[in-house]
Amino acid sequence: MSPLSSSLLNPRLSFSLKPLFLFSQSSFAPRKFQIPRQFVSAKRKTFSALASEQSSATDNGGRSGGGGRSGALSPSPVVEEVQRIDVNPPKGTRDFPPEDMRLRTWLFNHFREVSRLFGFEEVDYPVLESEVLFIRKAGEEIRDQLYCFEDRGNRRVALRPELTPSLARLVIQKGKSLSLPLKWFAIGQCWRYERMTRGRRREHYQWNMDILGLPEVTAEAELISSIVAFFKRIGITESDVGFKVSSRKVLQEVLRCYSVPENLFGKVCIIIDKIEKIPIDEIKRELNATGLSEEAIEELLQVLSIKSLTKLEEILGGAGEAVAELKELFSLAEKFGYSEWIQFDASVVRGLAYYTGF
Amino acid sequence: MSPLSSSLLNPRLSFSLKPLFLFSQSSFAPRKFQIPRQFVSAKRKTFSALASEQSSATDNGGRSGGGGRSGALSPSPVVEEVQRIDVNPPKGTRDFPPEDMRLRTWLFNHFREVSRLFGFEEVDYPVLESEVLFIRKAGEEIRDQLYCFEDRGNRRVALRPELTPSLARLVIQKGKSLSLPLKWFAIGQCWRYERMTRGRRREHYQWNMDILGLPEVTAEAELISSIVAFFKRIGITESDVGFKVSSRKVLQEVLRCYSVPENLFGKVCIIIDKIEKIPIDEIKRELNATGLSEEAIEELLQVLSIKSLTKLEEILGGAGEAVAELKELFSLAEKFGYSEWIQFDASVVRGLAYYTGIVFEGFDRQGKLRAICGGGRYDRLLSTFGGDDVPACGFGFGDAVIVELLKEKGLLPELNLEVDNIVCALDYDLQGVAAEVATKLREKGQSVDLVLESKPLKWVFKRAARTNVQRLVLVGNTEWQKGMVGVKILSSGEQYEIKLDELE
Repeated sequence: MSPLSSSLLNPRLSFSLKPLFLFSQSSFAPRKFQIPRQFVSAKRKTFSALASEQSSATDNGGRSGGGGRSGALSPSPVVEEVQRIDVNPPKGTRDFPPEDMRLRTWLFNHFREVSRLFGFEEVDYPVLESEVLFIRKAGEEIRDQLYCFEDRGNRRVALRPELTPSLARLVIQKGKSLSLPLKWFAIGQCWRYERMTRGRRREHYQWNMDILGLPEVTAEAELISSIVAFFKRIGITESDVGFKVSSRKVLQEVLRCYSVPENLFGKVCIIIDKIEKIPIDEIKRELNATGLSEEAIEELLQVLSIKSLTKLEEILGGAGEAVAELKELFSLAEKFGYSEWIQFDASVVRGLAYYTGF
Repeated sequence: MSPLSSSLLNPRLSFSLKPLFLFSQSSFAPRKFQIPRQFVSAKRKTFSALASEQSSATDNGGRSGGGGRSGALSPSPVVEEVQRIDVNPPKGTRDFPPEDMRLRTWLFNHFREVSRLFGFEEVDYPVLESEVLFIRKAGEEIRDQLYCFEDRGNRRVALRPELTPSLARLVIQKGKSLSLPLKWFAIGQCWRYERMTRGRRREHYQWNMDILGLPEVTAEAELISSIVAFFKRIGITESDVGFKVSSRKVLQEVLRCYSVPENLFGKVCIIIDKIEKIPIDEIKRELNATGLSEEAIEELLQVLSIKSLTKLEEILGGAGEAVAELKELFSLAEKFGYSEWIQFDASVVRGLAYYTGIVFEGFDRQGKLRAICGGGRYDRLLSTFGGDDVPACGFGFGDAVIVELLKEKGLLPELNLEVDNIVCALDYDLQGVAAEVATKLREKGQSVDLVLESKPLKWVFKRAARTNVQRLVLVGNTEWQKGMVGVKILSSGEQYEIKLDELE
């Protein structure tokens, strides 16, 4: 029975008589190509008839080799609708064509090799995490720019802005099965949602090295040592770069004198971290708003301007932890052979709420 | 002026007199710890007063070494609220603690090395792409399970379910600057949003190899060759796995006989791909719904059951492209030396709408696992994105099934942490010397786990055993006075002293 008569008899197939456009309607981007085709055909064609149709259409003296490939020159119509896509990657993200990939691989190989030389183990975590992992209410920039959204199950998730909370989560998960001290590293992509007017990136890869289970300053000394080793490997010297070092305990000690509660500490640090980025009056205003007295603010700002550990010791005295730990670090830097690379600078607080020491 | 009187005079600071809880209110998870503190204090404390407060609080006979660290034993209150978090990664995703990471690195190194041996260049693209890149209206499962969402700027984006559309996008972007044929590979994470009742993953890593600019079947032959090379490297043989090969052109030829429009082709293939997964009557019903006549469906299903290229040739005749290309591929497989690995199977169509020619999938001969890998030719993908068509073929190879296969065959490698040296100062003042030893060894390319705290030798030996360390280097006063360090080789138990300069 021919297809036509069978479809006439079979009501289920009645729409086979409708014209093509019914199957092509779409609310998507306008179609670019459409070659109309007759759907209704009186009879089934034979394979040989088809074959001769094909070879006459593709007789273009094209490529050699068996198989008579139609390749790119066949007049076959597009089987899918055409939607002109943006050939660029999403705003703020990058493609890595071969040349860029080679550079990235080179860089990551150095990250990995230094980590290996220092006896660190590689780990990784999902790039997507529960949003809760990053909600810290200290006013950090990292939180304002969190790339969060609701997934298809209405869960609040986020593309991670940093790796440390995931590390913490995994360490808690593993619990007592972990042998301390733990030396882990990771190289992972981190994201932020930033207004694109400033032409900044929304993603970057970050190399992280962490030591868990060591309260001693030797841990920080080892970490800085590893970065020095990395710089040396790629030809950067102490005349090109340096490390500014301070301690959150410096601020803590000042704030404690004014009996400022510990839970405001993170907030205060975040405000201080903006010192180079916003006017000093704005800084003072924000510090006021957290409840600090003018006297406290003045003293804080004075302390933050100190660039010498000796001077800091004069102000804070030698009994507190801040000065003692910093002196220890500088002593270790001397022994580890990288004194030329580091300097004390009390204005360094960094922008994450959770730092408790360096 | 004391803080108290200044705040009384300054109305802006009036809230400094309010109790603590104002600053701690939150709509988040219940607080676990809260040690109340007096915010209002009559006078500023001195640093030395503070210091004596601190040392009495932390006088716990704790750790040695300078600095009086309070460490974990300090009674300082929690500065942040505690929110109990779920310690597991999000549903359907994985963490990679060290042991899992070692396996992944081992696998990816094989992917990379095979790609390198075949002269392919590595590329990468963003894991997040515009949703539009993946919207194909052929009814593919990949589309139903697209992990899409609206970003903060209300743009529809998706975590990529596959790498090929990004490849196509980048190739169009680069345009004429690319030199064909192009041989690129990538190893990237892909995502899907699937109901978790089935305990399936929502992400996996996929190794992709693609050849663009070559219409000849030799391209497919080379791709299959690379997968064979990969299998061989990890100990998998042709008795463990095989490739089922067919061509979309087989179906095309059948459908053309019934004058079925080309734009329904993708849809028909997606339905056919479900043949092993849903009942045959359901398949027939869905094919009917696309407009195929019962006659067409019958013939289609008959052809799909063919397992011999000779039989196919009988049915389709020798003149069409489908048979010719397949014969060419099998001939090349013979010449490339892997005939034993491949077989014709007309039921293989694969689940992506854009394949236009040869398609193949790797399968486990014991029939226990899902497809190990899959690929094919897709000559007309670029034009669907508004670019000029370039002949293209490629495959995707996931990181999940292969690991299951290796487990089945007992071929999973044993990968332990291996650090070359542990360096340890036996006396605190020699910490610097120990670091010097560590630096020296590292400069020679040796990995060193430097002991950063005062620990008994017994502890150091335990750690050495756990990390499969080759050698222990001990810096002790007695030896160091002679300019020497102590070395112990853990495998042999050999022990000796050596000058620092002579340490290799």
